[in-house]
This record gives sequence, structure tokens and C-alpha cells, in this order.
Amino acid sequence: MGKIRVLSPVGVAAGESLTVPALPRQWRGLTIGFLDNTKANFDRLTAEMGDLLRTQHGVAKIVHRRKANASTPAAPGLIAEMAKECDVVFAGSAD
Amino acid sequence: MTEVLELDDTPEAVFAEFCAREWCDGLPIVPPTEDRVRAMLDGRPPGHSLGAMPPLWRAATFEKLAINAVMAGSEPACFPIIVAAVEAMLDPAFNLYGVQATTHPVAPLVVVNGPYGASIGVHGGQGCFGPGFRANATIGRAIRLILMNVGGAWPGRGDMATQGSPAKFSYCIAENEEQSPWAPLTEGDVVTVYGGEPPHNVNDHVSTTAAGILANVADTAVSLGSNVGAYFSQAQLMVVLGPEHAATVAGDGFSRADVQRYVYENARLPLGLLKLSGMWGMHDWPGWMNAITDPDARPPRVPSPDDVFVLVAGGSGKHSCVIPNCTFSRAVSRPITR
Repeated sequence: MGKIRVLSPVGVAAGESLTVPALPRQWRGLTIGFLDNTKANFDRLTAEMGDLLRTQHGVAKIVHRRKANASTPAAPGLIAEMAKECDVVFAGSAD
Repeated sequence: MTEVLELDDTPEAVFAEFCAREWCDGLPIVPPTEDRVRAMLDGRPPGHSLGAMPPLWRAATFEKLAINAVMAGSEPACFPIIVAAVEAMLDPAFNLYGVQATTHPVAPLVVVNGPYGASIGVHGGQGCFGPGFRANATIGRAIRLILMNVGGAWPGRGDMATQGSPAKFSYCIAENEEQSPWAPLTEGDVVTVYGGEPPHNVNDHVSTTAAGILANVADTAVSLGSNVGAYFSQAQLMVVLGPEHAATVAGDGFSRADVQRYVYENARLPLGLLKLSGMWGMHDWPGWMNAITDPDARPPRVPSPDDVFVLVAGGSGKHSCVIPNCTFSRAVSRPITR
């Protein structure tokens, strides 16, 4: 059987990939942020998580911030503010 | 360096391999050989990138665009339109990351204006959203393959659309400029990309006035389950009038701006009803709209009449359509350069 040579249609990464730093092994005294994407129940979920982090893991402070809406990126000022204030920030989605 | 595969030279073997690798949309492809890709490029530098395409931020090089265009069955004459559409989608205003990754069924609609598109068979007449027209079908399909293979938006992995949409296979039309009573949507050879839902039909077999037809258009444009109006700042509507409806509307003395204004003012729902909508509570409104308390007040669903795009497409018959956008993307136009 004859052969045919074809080219891959898959793109190549345009730049260097980012590495997410490891989560801290110890949470005591840290400030933890939650970036709310505005979808239903995210606030309830993270309120409960925040309580657990404070009462059972010694987290000092919980910061809760909300994006304008679920489908556009967080404003640069909001990201800068959370980066300055928090030791760890969780960005998630809820439905 | 692009990976080269050596496969058994049968249509079945090539198709099976591309399906197994998740490199196609589930339909047979034209094998992207070096000769075919070179012809598609038509002298363009293969390594030149138009930018990083989300969600995996891979380089949208001419070569990769050409490979996917070959697979889609495009003729090289279609490639300038495909390139212009990719340039437009990579404009930050289009928010391609959101369009690619959302659970919403949005797909980029490619609207082609100008003589070049017409000369290569991009169709804006009878049945233009449907099958039968190679340029429409393969330009739209090339865009989808590029979004999947270059951007990395595979269903359930990068493309998180809950149900997807038939418009994600191919979504490309021309404006029917010959039968439009108004100036074209855009002047010259231009591609517009619009992050839209599939067309919502407007059937009006009885109205003989602009107000009658546009009342049906306006009603179709808004519904409780729509994104439009919830994420207010980027909400847009596209009204695609069939030529017969357009002739009736224009015959009543309506300009395009009048149609935009009419839809802007009338495509609304009362606040009391909006509180039952599927986005209530997570909506993103400006302060002046949040201050409204009258349940009978009808706040706008798009920021201005300019956010209602009006064009003419289709053939004989009493149908038009409205295409709501996803509301986290704004339409972008780019010239077609050859």
C-alpha cells in the first residue's frame, strides 16, 4: 500500500508556560483570598471553606472579592489588590 | 517544526488517524500534504504568527492556519478570508478566551462583505446559513478546526459548552448586498466576526409595515433564557433581515439607523419579568439600571442602538432571524488583504 505524508494541524505553545507555585504546607497566620466569578453558590461554598480554614487551620484572614461577571477576566486592579493582600488566592467557578 | 505523519494512503486510514488523534470535527478531511499546504499559503511566510490563540495560547502561524484550511476543504482563494477572521478573533475586544471556554453555545459567526467574497462564492442568498455552498461551509469549518487544533478547544476540554451547537461546525455567510436596500454592513472587502448563538427565526408572513415586522424581530430578540441584557456592557444583537422583510421595512422609510433604534427601544422586557430570568442575581448592570424599582419599567438589553447590527441575507420568503451574542465578546471587523 502506498504512503501519504501529512502535516499536523496542532498548534505549538506560543510562549513559556507558567508554573503554579506549590500550596503552603502550613496555613497558620496566612491571608487567603477567594475570587468570586459571580456564579450561583460560589459565595456560600467559599464562606464555608473560609470558616474551616480559620477555625481548623489557623488562617488569619479571609478576603472575598467578586469579578464584574463570570465570563470576562478580573480587572487588573483587582488582581493586583489581591496579590498584594493575600498569601494564596483561589479562583474558581461555580454553577 | 511541524510534525509530519506517514500514513496509509487511503481516505479511510487518514480519516481514522485524524479522528483517533482528536484532530478533526468528526467529518472526513482533505489530507494536509505539504503541496496542498504550500498552495494554501500562496507565498505567505509559514512561520509568521498572528498571535497566541486561547485557551492553550498556541501560535496561530500561517502554516497551522493553512493546514487546517486544507483539512476543511477550503480552496486557496478562501484563505485571505480565513486569515482576516483569525486576525479579528484575536483582537482582545472579541475575548476569544471566553468564547472558546464558556459553557454557553457561542460560535464565531463570520460575515463577509465586499466583492472579493462574492467572487469566490461566499453566499448570502437563499439558504445561506445552511448547506450547499463550498466557500461558506469550508471557511466556517476551517475556523472551527483552527479553534480546536490551534487554540486547543476540544469539547469538554477547553471548550466547555454544555450542549455545543450546530453552528460550531461551520458558521459563515455573506451579506446579500445586491438585495439590501441599505449600504453594506461594512464597506469594501471586510470580514466581521460575531460571537453569536445560532440564528433565532423570525417568521412574519402577515405584516406589511416596518413596525409590524420589527415588532416580531424585537420580541424574538429577548427572552428570559438569554444572556443578552444580563451582562449589559458587552451585549449585542444581530438582526439578519431576509430581503423581502428588508424591502418592506425600507419601503416604510426606515433607514438602517431607524431599524437599530426601533429594536433598541422595543427589544425589552419589564423589570418584574426579568427577575425570573436565568441570569438574575449574577447580572452585571450599571448603577443607574440597578436603581430602577418600577416592575413595569423596561430597561434596555444592549448599551446603545449601535449594538444592534442590521444586515440583509437570505433569499425569497418571509423569514428573518436574530442572533443574540454571548455578551462577553464584541464584534470585530478586519479588512481582507491578499
